[in-house]
Amino acid sequence: MLVLTRKAGEGIVIGDNIKITIVELKGGGVRIGIDAPVEQKIYRQEVYDRICRENMEATQWNLADLSDLSSSLTGGKTIK
Amino acid sequence: MNKIQSRFGEIEYQPENLLHFPEGLIGFENLRDFIVMPNEKEGPLFWIQSVEDSAIAFILTDPTNFFLDYKVAPDQRERQKLQLEEDEECFSLAVVTVSPERQITLNLAAPILFAPETRTALQVILEGTKYQSRTPLPTIEEARQTAEQKT
Repeated sequence: MLVLTRKAGEGIVIGDNIKITIVELKGGGVRIGIDAPVEQKIYRQEVYDRICRENMEATQWNLADLSDLSSSLTGGKTIK
Repeated sequence: MNKIQSRFGEIEYQPENLLHFPEGLIGFENLRDFIVMPNEKEGPLFWIQSVEDSAIAFILTDPTNFFLDYKVAPDQRERQKLQLEEDEECFSLAVVTVSPERQITLNLAAPILFAPETRTALQVILEGTKYQSRTPLPTIEEARQTAEQKT
């Protein structure tokens, strides 16, 4: 990983169209400004990681679960 | 008609009926095409099976079945990806999780936006939302009560 030291007000340019600016250092946190094209997805790491984990967990099911679940939602009706 | 193997057995599908995720799902960015599988039983749930990875399938539902006022507006980037026309709307779907403890939850914090015209879908992460990624599924009775309170 490339590690750079920056001060408040300084920035980093990534490629042709992403600019990152260190806006402020305060109370152990760093406020970061990001200029990027609208089509770039930007997420907080921990939020992204959590959704990854939850998607992974959502793949762990079987057809019996789906069947039971559907029955409980419709009161046991099946398609005739 | 094409065929793939899934962990539920062989599945036949029409290539033109696939649901396309131009960015995959979060954490599954390489899986772009899914077969939409009807549920054998009546009800609001259905599932999608990855064409590219036989082990990957998700249960989905329209969250407005349970949360009547749930609505996600796609931003400019998302509208582009979904190839939505100017006034065209898209639908929201939620990933359903069955935990090892048999708890059923809906991921309302990372819905799937679905454009029926183009059969294109996108999973988005809502930031700063009141919606939870593990929203317990209300019972039908609870959903009905909410509906009645609204009217």
